[in-house]
This record gives sequence, structure tokens and C-alpha cells, in this order.
Amino acid sequence: MWMKNEDELVGEALQGDHSSFEQLLRPYRQGLLNMAYRMTGNREEAKEICQDALIKVYKYLHRFKRGKSFKNWAYKITVNSAYDFLRKKKRFEDTVQKQKELEWSHSPDPERQYRNKEIKDRIEVCLQKLSSREKAVFLLRDGDGFSVEETSMILKCSSLSVRTHLSRARKKIRAQFERMNLGYREEVNNEV
Amino acid sequence: MKCKKVRRLLPLMAGGDLRSSRISAVKAHLERCPECQLEYDAYVLSLETAKEWLERDRKDWEESEWLRAVQSAVTQGKPKVSPLAPWPFRKAWAYAVMGVLAAALTLLLVVKPFDTGEGMMPDSGVSSRTQARLSGSPLEESQQQIVKMTMVLPETGQKIIWFFDKNFTLEVNE
Repeated sequence: MWMKNEDELVGEALQGDHSSFEQLLRPYRQGLLNMAYRMTGNREEAKEICQDALIKVYKYLHRFKRGKSFKNWAYKITVNSAYDFLRKKKRFEDTVQKQKELEWSHSPDPERQYRNKEIKDRIEVCLQKLSSREKAVFLLRDGDGFSVEETSMILKCSSLSVRTHLSRARKKIRAQFERMNLGYREEVNNEV
Repeated sequence: MKCKKVRRLLPLMAGGDLRSSRISAVKAHLERCPECQLEYDAYVLSLETAKEWLERDRKDWEESEWLRAVQSAVTQGKPKVSPLAPWPFRKAWAYAVMGVLAAALTLLLVVKPFDTGEGMMPDSGVSSRTQARLSGSPLEESQQQIVKMTMVLPETGQKIIWFFDKNFTLEVNE
């Protein structure tokens, strides 16, 4: 089947063809949802962010420069929507973070914590140690595989800034991993 | 390269994001420093694990949810296509151009009437006639109603301009 390129789909979407708009975004729908989900740690909020981002993408589609990467542009809008959302929910988020940390460090069932199906919690705990910018850089570079240069374009900052935030994010994640392992060993020792 | 500096670069090295100019120096250090090598391995392991976790815990839309979200975006965010499309400039550029035009118009309308230059001169040939009169030549044959005299101060270059009625007579008391 002949596939239309992104510029053609953008043109058709601008003419009012809704199915072209859907086709344009379909390849990135999972990536955008996951980006928003990692930023917030909540599926419903992620959907809300994505919905907002989709509206903005459609609204400002005429501003998209043909020949540029639509994927980068869509990610940029989603990350900005996530930032807006997090700013609005900052207080609420801080409270949730504290609750989760407490739950993680004082859970009476270590087995539950370290089972593979608890991956979601582990990622969340790691990511919550990061600032919004560090989280965005880490998710774009290490989660979605964007290059440093692409990440800098999406976040509208320099490559140097991306490298700095990436370095900090990886340090924090490594430290968090160590903390988790240490906690595990302590609890095992206590049991013995 | 010292351990302290190398350890600062290890997070980037672990993800392959270090500048090529530094990679060889870091690699050389890691070969001879087992402690830094351990640190590096820990970074690589944590990064790989984190990536694996992210990959395994990927969320996706349900088809119906996705279609609803797109439909909602289409109805709520109708694109604002300018009637001037394909106008290449953004709104900010349009405002800037309008600002410049407004400033130019203001200069033309407000500043120009107060200009004492050629624009206010009734006749470009007046000066020579005025000079002729001041030097004693008759001016009665001129049809000009208003004459102009310009004096330039040689010290400062300041210009003083007088406008005289045709019937003005200059009396010099000696």
C-alpha cells in the first residue's frame, strides 16, 4: 500500500481531512502517551495532557514548517503541555510524591516491592527524583531514543544544557537504584 | 585525566553521549583505573535496566479512546488558517511591519510640517533675490509675496532663517 508522506498528510489535514490528521499522529500516539505518562505518573492525567496536545497540534498545524520533523514538533507540543499541566498541579504532585516515597520505604512486604510486575512503581520512584527538565531530557533521550540534538530542539535549549540535565538524571537514577538494592539487602538481612 | 573529572563524565559515557574528543581519554583512564571502571559499569547497568523497565511498562491507547481523542481535537482545535495564506510571516512579523509603517507615517505627518527646510520655502529662487535686495538691487519687479533670508553663523554653523513680506523695507541706521 502506498504510504503518504507527512507533508502530504499535513496538507490534507489543513484542508479539513480528519482521517489524514489521524494517520499523521498514529505512529506517535504510543510515544506521546508514554511521554506524558512518565511525566505525570498517572494514566488519566497523561490522557488529559495528550488530549490538550492533540488540540494544539490541530489548531497550530498551519504553523508547522513542511520538511521538518513532525515527530519532533508533536513531542515538543506534548512536553510543553505536560509542563503546563505539572505547573498547575505542582502542589498536588508534591503530596503524591511524598506519599509514594513513604509507601516505598516502609512497605511491610519486600517481596511485593521487588517482583517484576512492580516495575511501574520502580520507574515512578526513580523518575520522581528528577526535576521536570531532567525527566523530559531523560525520557526523550533514553526512553524514546531521540539524539541529544533532537532533544535540544524539542526542548528549545542548547545541546550543552541537554547533556548537563541528562548527566544529572542518570546520576540520580543510579543513586536511586543503589538505594533500592540497599533497602532490599537490609530487609533480607533483617528477615534472616 | 583524573578520577574526579572522569567520574563527572561517566553518566554521559554510559549512554554514548560523550563528545568524541573525550571518549578516548576516558577509555584510557578506565583501562588503568578499576574503581572508575566499576563506577562506569554501575552506570551502564542502571541505564540499561531503566531503559528495559521503560520499554516493558509502555502504555498504549485503546483504539476507541484514541479515535475519540482525535475527534475531540478536531472539533475543539479548528486550525486558524489566515485569509492571507500562504502568508509566510507570523503574527509577530505582521505587527512589526505595521509598527514600522506607523512610525514612518508619523514622521511624515508630524515631523515634516515643522521642518524649516525646502518644504516651507515659497520659492527656491527667493534667496538670491533677497541677497540682491540686501546688497542694494531693486526687488520691485518680483512677483513673490514672501521672501526668505538665511544667515549661517560661521562659528557654530547655526542657521537663522527670516521670512519677509514683499513690502518689507530694511532700514539701517548708521
